[in-house]
Amino acid sequence: MILDFDAYVTAALFDAAGVPTFALGDGSVRLVSLEGFTTAQAHDGAVLCACVHPSGAGIVTGGDDGRVVWSRLEGGEAVMSEIAELKGKWIDAVAASADSGLIAFAAGKDLQVRDSKDPAFARTFSHDKSVADIAFDPKGRRIAAATYGGAALWYARIEKQTPQMLKWAGSHMLVLWSPDGKFLLSSMQENSLHGWRLSDGKDMRMGGYPAKVKSLAFLSNGLMMATAGANGAVIWPFQGANGPMGKEAAEVAYDQDALVTRVAAAGRGNLLAGGLDDGRVWVCDLVSGRKEVLKAEKGAPISALAMSMDGRSVAFGDEDGGAGVLASGF
Amino acid sequence: MTTKIPVTVLTGYLGAGKTTLLNRILTEDHGKRYAVIVNEFGEVGIDNDLVVGADEEVFEMNNGCVCCTVRGDLIRVLSGLMKRKGGFDAIVVETTGLADPGPVAQTFFVDDDVRAKTQLDSVTTVVDAKHLPLRLADSREAVEQVAFADQIVLNKTDLVDEAELRGVEAAIRRINPLAPIHRTTRSQVPLEAILGRGSFDLERITAAEPEFLNPPHGEEGHVHDEHCDHDHDHGHDHGHHHDHGHDHHDHAAHDHAAAAGIKGISLTSEKPLDGIRVTNWLNTLLQEKGVDILRAKGILDIKGENRRLVFQAVHMILEGDYQRDWKDGEARYSRMVFIGRDLDEAAIRSGFEACAA
Repeated sequence: MILDFDAYVTAALFDAAGVPTFALGDGSVRLVSLEGFTTAQAHDGAVLCACVHPSGAGIVTGGDDGRVVWSRLEGGEAVMSEIAELKGKWIDAVAASADSGLIAFAAGKDLQVRDSKDPAFARTFSHDKSVADIAFDPKGRRIAAATYGGAALWYARIEKQTPQMLKWAGSHMLVLWSPDGKFLLSSMQENSLHGWRLSDGKDMRMGGYPAKVKSLAFLSNGLMMATAGANGAVIWPFQGANGPMGKEAAEVAYDQDALVTRVAAAGRGNLLAGGLDDGRVWVCDLVSGRKEVLKAEKGAPISALAMSMDGRSVAFGDEDGGAGVLASGF
Repeated sequence: MTTKIPVTVLTGYLGAGKTTLLNRILTEDHGKRYAVIVNEFGEVGIDNDLVVGADEEVFEMNNGCVCCTVRGDLIRVLSGLMKRKGGFDAIVVETTGLADPGPVAQTFFVDDDVRAKTQLDSVTTVVDAKHLPLRLADSREAVEQVAFADQIVLNKTDLVDEAELRGVEAAIRRINPLAPIHRTTRSQVPLEAILGRGSFDLERITAAEPEFLNPPHGEEGHVHDEHCDHDHDHGHDHGHHHDHGHDHHDHAAHDHAAAAGIKGISLTSEKPLDGIRVTNWLNTLLQEKGVDILRAKGILDIKGENRRLVFQAVHMILEGDYQRDWKDGEARYSRMVFIGRDLDEAAIRSGFEACAA
């Protein structure tokens, strides 16, 4: 299914029921069904970030209107609930954990936490500099906040605390925990990744990228991490206690004429999807090496990409509003 | 693909008239859609326009370049604005009166995403005629904002007499010989003179004519005010050619008064330059002294090359390219202007002269 939304596609996601959902620069959330899509006008402005709701139904979006909104389908109708509103702020990042039921979002220097099962619960954690991205650990108990000079680790529920600071000079833009919770990965302003082993705080420098790394995804049950930011998808091995330390990265689906802007995986399998800056989309099986081009037509850079849990579908969106849900062929 | 959105950086110390100018940009019936990034949080939409707050977070880059600092908040805000439906005709970034314009300007060259979508149009500095001499004496930031500017809005000219005004303009030119000066009152300078300058566009470097080589205001009209500057594209093109045969070292030597050690240095050569030698020299100079060189611009006559080599630099970031052909009968020359802090003029001059082919 190919769609045209006429607005920047900020995020493409599959919720737990496998409903493909798009969040757009015109503030809307589009929930796709077999008949087409249902629109939820979640924000007055642009959606800046999105994630799947802890319940697994629908998505949580953050906008430049300062609102955090949950949009989902109920009986075929779009339903929206406001989770938070911070007047005059931009919600730059949002994350949620199905395990703990918590929702976290970043606005300026603050990280805030809400509980999807307890409307009275609210936490605010402040930083010296703005928070660019946030991520829950696999159990949903701790939150990592990417900021200038490193990442801050917070216990999501504790009201008064001093965060554990993982320091590394520079501006950190994107954070992700490894699925076993042993490593934290960050993408930096200077076209490189940084990683910390949490057991001892050991630093891992993962450089050599020609562009900023805007997308990270674990696959193969956490044995591999794929990244964007190069002419192919860069694959880092994560076997053993040392993770990628001292190991070489591999590059798959190399294309000298294009850069990978987004990667997506289903987590368990070996399938990886890649979206390119010339609008093309591919899927590759990292074990067999088989690669299928899902979208060969060129267009605006891919800005959003997701793979369904079963690996059968890929949802993509681009900077000009082009979007689609395609069968992966695997 | 989509064209890049021009971005104007608006600097100036408190009370100079920056806010009045911003309010005009937001309220005037110009039919354009602007986004204004101000340095306090709070988002207000006025008609078509959008005002966004930013935090002035200056980040150092881990790339071995000591003066490479960027505005991290700006990278985030601009990337957010790019997601908005409909886009913008122009973006204006206001900085606080205490801000160094360097990191803001460098953001537009260092960050690939920002660079892909936007183009720095100019650094515009608002100063007021009455208080500028005092600010230049007591505020290093005020001096740097004048030094960094592509154009200066000289505001509140009604508060001083003509002699004072000329003194203020002379003080500005000693620090920044390149920036046109727009005389005005109550920030009533035409918006079309302020926005859409293309100051960093190599194609539009028509002349690197230091203003201190020009006759004073009134005799030649080189100081731009609200009455004379409707044809701003040609601001540098007329009446300068008589200068080319002269050696103007002595003009720059008046700079002993320049506050905070910041001044402009102009170099001229009638002899064609050796392309490789001058490129190497410029690279080395900017690498070694880039921290202190705020801005540089130049048009060069390269031996064996029929096109003009033009460049502009912000600290260590150098952009240069061959531009149009020298015209038949056009006087060929090479001229560079450096604006910087504590520059060793004699060393720069001899380095430049050694680049002759």
